[in-house]
Amino acid sequence: MRSRRLVGGLAALATIGLFTACSAPADDAASSGELPTGQTISVWTFGATGLEDSMEAWAEETGNTIEIKTSEFDPHHEQLLTALASGAVPDVALVETAYSSLFKPSAKYFTDLREYGAEDIEGDFLDWRWAQGVADDGTVIGLPTDVGGMALAYRTDLFEAAGLPSDSDGVEGLWSSWEEFVAVGEQYTETTGEPFLDDAGVFFQTVYNQGDEKFYSADGSELIYESNPQVQKAWDLATSAAPISANLAAFSPEWNTGMANGDYAVQLAPAWMLNYIQGQAPDTAGLWNVVTLPEGGGNWGGSQMTVPKEAANPALAYDMLSTILSPENQLEVFTEFGNFPSTPELYEDPALTGFTSPFFSDAPVGLIYTESVQALEPVYEGPKERAILREFGLGIDRVESGDETPAEAWQSTLDAVALEVE
Amino acid sequence: MATPALVAESSALRARGPRGRRRSLTPYLYIAPFFLVFGAFGAFPLAYTAFISLFDWNPIGEQAFIGFDNYVDLVADPRFWNAAWNTVVIWVLSTVPQLAIALVLAAVLNQALLRFRTGFRMAVLVPNITSVLAVGIIFTQLFGRDYGMINTVIEFFGGQRIDWVAGSFSSQFAVSTMVMWRWTGYNTLIYLAAMQSIPRALYESAEIDGAGPIRKFLTITIPQVRPTIIFTVIVSTIGGLQVFAEPLVFGGQAGVTGGQSRQFQTLALFLYEQGFRNLEFGYASAIAWALFLIIVVLTIINLALSSRIASEK
Repeated sequence: MRSRRLVGGLAALATIGLFTACSAPADDAASSGELPTGQTISVWTFGATGLEDSMEAWAEETGNTIEIKTSEFDPHHEQLLTALASGAVPDVALVETAYSSLFKPSAKYFTDLREYGAEDIEGDFLDWRWAQGVADDGTVIGLPTDVGGMALAYRTDLFEAAGLPSDSDGVEGLWSSWEEFVAVGEQYTETTGEPFLDDAGVFFQTVYNQGDEKFYSADGSELIYESNPQVQKAWDLATSAAPISANLAAFSPEWNTGMANGDYAVQLAPAWMLNYIQGQAPDTAGLWNVVTLPEGGGNWGGSQMTVPKEAANPALAYDMLSTILSPENQLEVFTEFGNFPSTPELYEDPALTGFTSPFFSDAPVGLIYTESVQALEPVYEGPKERAILREFGLGIDRVESGDETPAEAWQSTLDAVALEVE
Repeated sequence: MATPALVAESSALRARGPRGRRRSLTPYLYIAPFFLVFGAFGAFPLAYTAFISLFDWNPIGEQAFIGFDNYVDLVADPRFWNAAWNTVVIWVLSTVPQLAIALVLAAVLNQALLRFRTGFRMAVLVPNITSVLAVGIIFTQLFGRDYGMINTVIEFFGGQRIDWVAGSFSSQFAVSTMVMWRWTGYNTLIYLAAMQSIPRALYESAEIDGAGPIRKFLTITIPQVRPTIIFTVIVSTIGGLQVFAEPLVFGGQAGVTGGQSRQFQTLALFLYEQGFRNLEFGYASAIAWALFLIIVVLTIINLALSSRIASEK
């Protein structure tokens, strides 16, 4: 009886084996150099990458399907962490720059994209953006998406109503420094009784991102958040702007509503923010304009698209990434959505530099963001970058809501950061 | 005469040796599912959490043994005490009114004269089967600062708009209302079941003595359901100290920290922040054990109180 059961079991195993063999054309195809079709590529993102349509187009062309899961910013990275630890991973996952230094030491959890020829396209991308996806041991964990060059978007109609100039030359002439910018904001709020800015936290991040050092020293050896004059400056400006801020937490539903309603006049805008504005406030087309920032450019955001180690279809995933992040496609994404390319060969291309956006009153956004990005130097971001930034954001929130004075909040923020980094 | 039969029986038993052993296994198999499930989802995680709490444990990085350092850090961490305090405040704010309202509701539903009784009894349980995230999202909108309905009503009656999330008490109050809304009906049904087992004769003799409804509620109903009240207090303690989803949703962007000043961060949220946001799984495990101990201590206090009340009776 026992032996009969054994035979039965073997037969069942053999059957399973047969089925498995039948349903595994993917491996055969890969070994013959062709990419498999009919596969589902799962992609985890946060926010709007501007790449969704490109992914769909790639899938259609190659006979595969795409499944995109979009989460909020921090939860997305938390889920990715759990997924990496458990092995139940997507084929492609976005990792934002502030988080990349947290994930890079765990490079063995990602597919080394050099296996699929990533080195061949390294030259297409900005050096420092490329380096954000390279671990210490040389593993390429991800390909760069966009660059968050920064500018300033404002509502022409609201500026006009407040008696301010509304054309771009006039607005740029209003201020040559951030202090003057805040002064104009105070004047605006006094005249209209309405807030000038969306969120002092966004203001902090903008100024903080203009520095050549952030919370870590340039060589990454020490934490300088307490002594870095750029951080101090960003803090002072942001907290001084509390009275002119609508105190809407960026990326919250209230913020979206406020943006669509015109509850505030100025939106500090990394290039990808243009995508947000067009998505959240489609009825405000033509009411915005974009000008350069006071005190120079900077980078806010941008991501790497990674392929986790246990991904089901790494070869297909890489094929998709190298297609949708190619210079040609990044140009298309920029003209359609606003996410700015990370491929410098385009910065000479009139199709980019000459691009104007009708949504933003035909502002020369191509030129504005190109200039913002071209002067950029790489800035070191450490493993606790995001955690520290979050505490600074909370500190500014405490000032905005009147819980604490700027001096109290500075001290409580330093205390909170100390607990995070110890 | 009896002997051969006995021998035959025992030899038959011996012959069926393996089956006999199998029969003695049967009761264990019947109770095995509980122990397997409890082992997989109760005992093992508990032990493994204790193990991890002795490490500096990054789930996708380094894992180094550090002994009891996590616990030493925890006791010195003001964020831990803040979260513990918030948890207790939210627990009291939600449990006390919740149980009081549930008692009154149950007494009303227990009235023989009430029409559509079954309908009402089912209705009180609806909040409890609603998804906690849905509850969180709806209440968060109600408590919204700029476009929330509660502020609109307050303003209509000439009051000042309240920034519910930013305030310390206001946010804890708002979170408590969500917990209350979800669990009041559940406790109502438990009380109702207890009240239905109270002998009618007690009420009848009280009526003969001239007792009104309130008098009967206070001197008959409440003493009679006292053991049930103690049970619900213990269950609410265990649940209330693990509140997580409500404050998480309520805080929006700053949900994990429980607001800008950690003003409504509960212990469960603090655990999540340390583990899944900061990758400090060892520290998070230490928090889990601290939470476990707090619940055990409070439950023992509850039990001690309840046995004293029982012996007084």
